[in-house]
Amino acid sequence: MLAFIRRTWLLWPAIGLLLVFFLVPSLDLIQASVMNPDFTLEHFERIADRKVYLAVFWRTLQVSLIVAFLAALVGYPIAYFINLQPRKTQFLLIFLIFIPLWMSVLIRSYAWMIVLGRDGIINTALLGLGLTEEPVRLLFTSGAVYFAMLQILLPVQIVTAYSAMTEIDMDLMRAARVLGARPWQALRRVFIPLSLDGTITGAIIVFMLSMGFFITPALVGGRQDMMLANLIEFQVERLNWSFASALAILLLLGTVLTVIVIRRLGNLITRRIA
Amino acid sequence: MTRRRHIFSAVLTGAVLGLATLGTAVADEIAVSGSGGVVAEVNEKYFFPAFTEDTGWTIKQVGAEAKRMAEIEAMVRAGNTVWDVSEISASDYPLAVKKGLLEPIDYALVDPDNKLPEMARKEFGVVAASYSTVLVQRLDKNPDGKKMESWADFWDVETFPGPRSLRGRPEYNLEFALLAEGVAKEDLYKILSTKEGVERAFAKLDEIKEHIPVWWTSGAQSVQLLSDGEVFYSTTYNGRVGKLQESGIPAEIIWNGGALHVSHVSIVKGSKHIEKAHDYIRIRTTRPDLELEYLKVLPYPNFAPGLFDQLDEAQAKQMPTYPANAEMQFSANEEFWADNIDWINERWNEWLLE
Amino acid sequence: MSGAAVSFRGVSKRYGPVDALADFDLEVKPGEFMTFLGPSGSGKTTALNVLAGFTHATAGEVMIDGRSVGGLPPEQRNVGMVFQSYSLFPHMNVFENVAFPLRLRGVAKAEVARRVGESLDMVRLADLGGRMPKELSGGQRQRVAFARAVVFEPPVLLMDEPLGALDLKLRQAMQLEIKRYHAQLGCTIVFVTHDQGEALALSDRIAVMGEGRIAQVDTPDRIYDYPKSRYVAEFIGKTNILTLEPGNAGAVRIVELGCDVPAQGALAEARMISVRPEKIERAAGRREGLIDFTARIDEVLFLGDLVHYSAVLPGGGALLFQEHRGPGATVLARGDTIELGFLLSDALPVSGREAAATAVGA
Repeated sequence: MLAFIRRTWLLWPAIGLLLVFFLVPSLDLIQASVMNPDFTLEHFERIADRKVYLAVFWRTLQVSLIVAFLAALVGYPIAYFINLQPRKTQFLLIFLIFIPLWMSVLIRSYAWMIVLGRDGIINTALLGLGLTEEPVRLLFTSGAVYFAMLQILLPVQIVTAYSAMTEIDMDLMRAARVLGARPWQALRRVFIPLSLDGTITGAIIVFMLSMGFFITPALVGGRQDMMLANLIEFQVERLNWSFASALAILLLLGTVLTVIVIRRLGNLITRRIA
Repeated sequence: MTRRRHIFSAVLTGAVLGLATLGTAVADEIAVSGSGGVVAEVNEKYFFPAFTEDTGWTIKQVGAEAKRMAEIEAMVRAGNTVWDVSEISASDYPLAVKKGLLEPIDYALVDPDNKLPEMARKEFGVVAASYSTVLVQRLDKNPDGKKMESWADFWDVETFPGPRSLRGRPEYNLEFALLAEGVAKEDLYKILSTKEGVERAFAKLDEIKEHIPVWWTSGAQSVQLLSDGEVFYSTTYNGRVGKLQESGIPAEIIWNGGALHVSHVSIVKGSKHIEKAHDYIRIRTTRPDLELEYLKVLPYPNFAPGLFDQLDEAQAKQMPTYPANAEMQFSANEEFWADNIDWINERWNEWLLE
Repeated sequence: MSGAAVSFRGVSKRYGPVDALADFDLEVKPGEFMTFLGPSGSGKTTALNVLAGFTHATAGEVMIDGRSVGGLPPEQRNVGMVFQSYSLFPHMNVFENVAFPLRLRGVAKAEVARRVGESLDMVRLADLGGRMPKELSGGQRQRVAFARAVVFEPPVLLMDEPLGALDLKLRQAMQLEIKRYHAQLGCTIVFVTHDQGEALALSDRIAVMGEGRIAQVDTPDRIYDYPKSRYVAEFIGKTNILTLEPGNAGAVRIVELGCDVPAQGALAEARMISVRPEKIERAAGRREGLIDFTARIDEVLFLGDLVHYSAVLPGGGALLFQEHRGPGATVLARGDTIELGFLLSDALPVSGREAAATAVGA
């Protein structure tokens, strides 16, 4: 026992912090969702009964997956490009990529309104070129939601993928080349499989952040671009803590399960590619 | 009320709030939770000095907009009330009362001479501001020689084509729909009290649904949409329109069919400075001289005695409670919404998803 | 499989103002084990990278089997390569690592299995095909890297400090292995190292390099016995460098010893001589022709069969010498004063920079 204490005592503050700020609130959340005041599943029954909650849940999941996928797709070549630059340039580029992160989500969402709006840059150009008679509806669409969320979350993806890429020993690429691989073969069989893990981690972070989004979709999306977080916010505003907790658990479970699936799938793909 | 789920969060929040105020919690000071921005500035410039002059006490202002109700609930549950006075909005008031988060108002302290009109005197709060959810039109986007005058016009997409916006919540939109259908404002809540009545409002909203590309979520967004020309017609709060006009946008309020609301100042349950809190509420709600300064910034008047006598006609006409304006509007029934919002909001969201 | 000739003709590589490789000329014979030996920055790795195709020469020509390869990317040069860090693909198991070059060459599946099996047999890892690289020891990784580099039977195999990351015992064992592989495969090996012992043990010929140039190319024994320059003499093995100056008529003076010797042959022109520690002996026997002098023992390094000494000369310089422990030989102690000597025929005139320091070990 004493030996155990001696071996682990340095970890205790961290464990204590996790307990106080993560585990206890989580248990609190679970408890709140099934007590009113005695044990009941009424909140979960309500979620199952009213189609709005599951519909919005699936919608949230779908939006988050699409954004995560797009982020991985767009972020990968950017991270790759940065990784190829000299060290100094890399730092500069990463710094530049971080700049939008310091801007409030609200301001960035308004920025998209300026680009995509009726009198926005794109529509002005389309009208000016005579490509359309009436302004095209770009804003307040699901496409705008994906676009805006992608723009907001892309830095997270790029930085995660990039930092994983810097871990890759570039001698492996030379080894692949001298063993007979053309540049793209070396990329596909060595670099991509080795960098996929970091890219998937980035996509998972983007996915998790997306699951909690609600301001951006509300500002640039249409009436159907509702996120589960919007519904939770409403319940909190109404002080319906129990029901809010039940919805939060739905969100949490959905997120955790999906992350597990993405990981599994990612490992499968990595093995396939290699 | 004894649900244990909140004990932890409440204690934690209480502890954090307590710690946060520990260093600054001095004697002879009350804490007032209010809105940020210009309202906070006006408070600090006029109402707070008047309070200090009157009582010798000072005020610490706490800004807490979105999570105000959650914070109040947490501190009341934890038995550690650190805000003495809080603004309580129209829609929050019934909930706060129902949850027992407020102290009753002693009108002998606030209004000893009994000068406040009955509608300003609520059991757990005094009206500090009145405001309206009104329809606003961009005059430059109207067809030649035409002007919207009613909710029926808002629904008339033939005469008034163009994108529109409404708030992305059911409150008052159902009323607007019924008004568009020709329901008398006296009958609104009688009709809405039945499921059929609510469905009737949704059926009317069906007609306009496709003409509303965006459902706004904040007052700031609603005026931004009008300002950018994303929509030509939208509801918004009357206090937002002045700024829009000042920026050169030819926007005009349609008072007809607007929803009139009142918001309150209340004493948070468990306040340790109940008497001084009443003093502040008295100064905030019954002093026309101070309220005049407030109205220069925001057209959200309270019921301070003689207030309108001191306003010039042009300014008075901007006020939601100006008799000619008030007459055309209906009083929003916040109790109805507090009782029904949970299920109507579910219906509303399903309707949006359809 | 047999080896191919490799030629460097006037190859230079400049990085800005720096000559990483200057006027590099070398002919490697088919099947030869050629080692580039030198300290870091001597150009040996640059020469290897130019040969592998990782860097392009600024001038000159590189040929493999008589064909110029300067314009070919690495994958078309058909050379095998073993890296210092092994560079095994961490996401592939041992089998897949070794199969990698075969799959790229479109070898049929059954053939891949057979050849990978043979290669792993050769490096005695036939059972570990399913292991991942991180599950292997350093020596095992090294052998996998070797199997991967030769599985496609390249006529030329490049090895870049392949044993650098291994501990001494393993390194010696691997040297024997590499010799065995070379004998078995018959390919040309270009081996890069900074370890002179490794170079002497493995190579058919050694190219000693310094400052981007070849200092000397020769067989290990000739490099050791007949270094042309002080640089080579000091880099290969241990040696004593003694300075010469004109002495009395017909003689040259060995400055550190303070004695004159006849200026015969090459000694007449030389500024320095190199004397290997094992060529210095106790002068008690007064052998004919021995140049003798007195020295005081300063340090004793007892190695069992061998004893290394560092001695202080009368002029103040230091001198290394060593003895086999023959029958009845005594071990000297620190502070002992002793008569030492060497044969003039064992003193080798060398060129190069003069310096006050006399003894340098590599």
